Amino acid sequence: MISEPTKEKLLLLKKKTLETWKVFRHNRMGMLGLTILMAFVAMAVFAPQMMLILKAIAGWESAYGPFDVVGPEGMAAAPSSDHWLGTDRRGFDILARTIYGARVSLEIGLVATVVSMGLGSFVGLMSGFWGGWRDEILMRVTDVFLVIPWLVLMIVFATLLPGGPSVEKVILVIGITGWSSTARIVRAQVLSLKQRAFIERARSIGAGDYYIVRKHVFPNVFPLVFANSILTIALSILSESTLSFIGLGPSPKAVVTWGNMLEDAFLAEAMFNGLYLWIIVPGMCIVLIVLAFTFLGYALDEIFNPKLRKR
Amino acid sequence: MRSSRRAIMRKIINSLITLFLVIILNFVLFRMMPGDPVRLIIPNDPKITDDHIAQMIEDFGLDQPLYLQFFTYMKNTLFLEFGDSFTELGTPALEIVLEKLKWTLILTGTSSIFMILIGVTVGVIAAWRRGGRFDTGSLAFSLFFYAMPTFWFAMMLIAIFSTELKWFPPDSALTYGNTLEFSWDGFRDLVHHLILPATSLTIGSIAAFSLIMRGSLVDVMTEEFITTARAKGLSETQMLKNHAVPNAMLPMVALIAIDIAFVVGGAFQTEVVFNYPGIGWETVEATYVKNYPILQAAFFLIAVAVILANLIADILMVSLDPRVKMGG
Repeated sequence: MISEPTKEKLLLLKKKTLETWKVFRHNRMGMLGLTILMAFVAMAVFAPQMMLILKAIAGWESAYGPFDVVGPEGMAAAPSSDHWLGTDRRGFDILARTIYGARVSLEIGLVATVVSMGLGSFVGLMSGFWGGWRDEILMRVTDVFLVIPWLVLMIVFATLLPGGPSVEKVILVIGITGWSSTARIVRAQVLSLKQRAFIERARSIGAGDYYIVRKHVFPNVFPLVFANSILTIALSILSESTLSFIGLGPSPKAVVTWGNMLEDAFLAEAMFNGLYLWIIVPGMCIVLIVLAFTFLGYALDEIFNPKLRKR
Repeated sequence: MRSSRRAIMRKIINSLITLFLVIILNFVLFRMMPGDPVRLIIPNDPKITDDHIAQMIEDFGLDQPLYLQFFTYMKNTLFLEFGDSFTELGTPALEIVLEKLKWTLILTGTSSIFMILIGVTVGVIAAWRRGGRFDTGSLAFSLFFYAMPTFWFAMMLIAIFSTELKWFPPDSALTYGNTLEFSWDGFRDLVHHLILPATSLTIGSIAAFSLIMRGSLVDVMTEEFITTARAKGLSETQMLKNHAVPNAMLPMVALIAIDIAFVVGGAFQTEVVFNYPGIGWETVEATYVKNYPILQAAFFLIAVAVILANLIADILMVSLDPRVKMGG
């Protein structure tokens, strides 16, 4: 049984979501981003089925998996009718790897964003809400992560954290190096909320810190964090591909991401051997998905930030 | 005036605290690895003799308790001693990193000049002709290159301009055997090798500058003094040059400091792809062989450089804009 107040809240939420969707539907940039994103999500979810369909169309022997050795080992092979994008030095089919690559690339982008947004929101909330010396300490730590170039931080963390390269480690590294700007944004928002009357009113009727943060501060900060997190997903996917490219990501033998495909292509000197499709296709996948999230992020920012809508 | 001096003092103190935290982070990170610190910090390499190991244990105080190690480390950092590079014993890591620094500075310096010039110009035109064809076109162009991984763009440049067109060399900073020298031929060789890496580094960052410049200028153009300037009968160029652009430049100063972090990140990727012998190349190489002294020295040097750059930008902001008295 759903209680009356909860039901009312759900209805309100539904109404709000519908209203947002109505505005969003007319945002060309946002819809374009959403369409591209949906295509990639479909590619990730239905990767085996896609290979089966392609097999039926092209008449291949089988629907290649990302780790099936189907080409010559030890050297990369140029595209052919059996392998549209060629095979890499391990004999893996590059087209199959590109399609399956959507899975881990998306997964790392999403989970790493949750980690960094969670960390950043927590630090920002605490810092802004407490103020005083605790705020000072947290902000100086934030400065360190804000100032040091992201790639340098990621390289140092990825090299020094215990354990070999794995998907989990890449997520952790992106998460703990990417939270600082979120913390800054959330803190600024909390500081401006603290000046508003309703917080003071809540406090005067005896509300505790935890209650105020949960009931009044968090709901007002959340839309901002949400719009920001969409842009962060784009950055996380770029970070993953860069880490993988310089050899600090998961091994291409066990995991396939667009980043480690490009690492393979670079190590096999694909740009000197004329094996351009091996570079172009995974690279364009990264560009398109980053663009999709960027478009979405801008569109949502415009919707949640009424100041921008007027322009 | 007094309050702006106080604001500057505060920025300086904050920067020093940040630097101190970086130094602590540098220590904690390199001691975080589980297991025997001596064996972890000194790799298992037959080229490293027992004498050398003994020397390193003494230099870093690795046989002492952690808090004493910290004091040894602080003292070493103060005197900029990070130990010898593991791959070139006898050569201090800092010396190697400083030697590579000049190439990184040549690369990032050249790119920064171009990205600021092009970015500001594109931003001004886009804001001036807001909603026009140039505006939408440049926005699409900027976002497209912004979404591109720098290393990937670098690989594409090599495929097109080195492998196919054979216009520019695909690797290193000078023709093999040449050294940096002040002569016309030396300069031509340098530029010839610099064009592709600098292009790959510049294009991705133009977006950041043009978008901020555009946004800032659009804001300024709605102000009343612009209407006044137009009402006075100033031409559009005069209005832009004397009234709008100078007032819109302020956010750019802050951006230049923030962007340094991105430029360094981009330079790392560019150097790896083009085999350009800068700090990025050296650092990435150091991660493969766990050459910790190099990693530590590079991390410290880059941190000092960016903290300094941010401080300078902050001070410029305070002195340029009377409204910025105290920033969080």
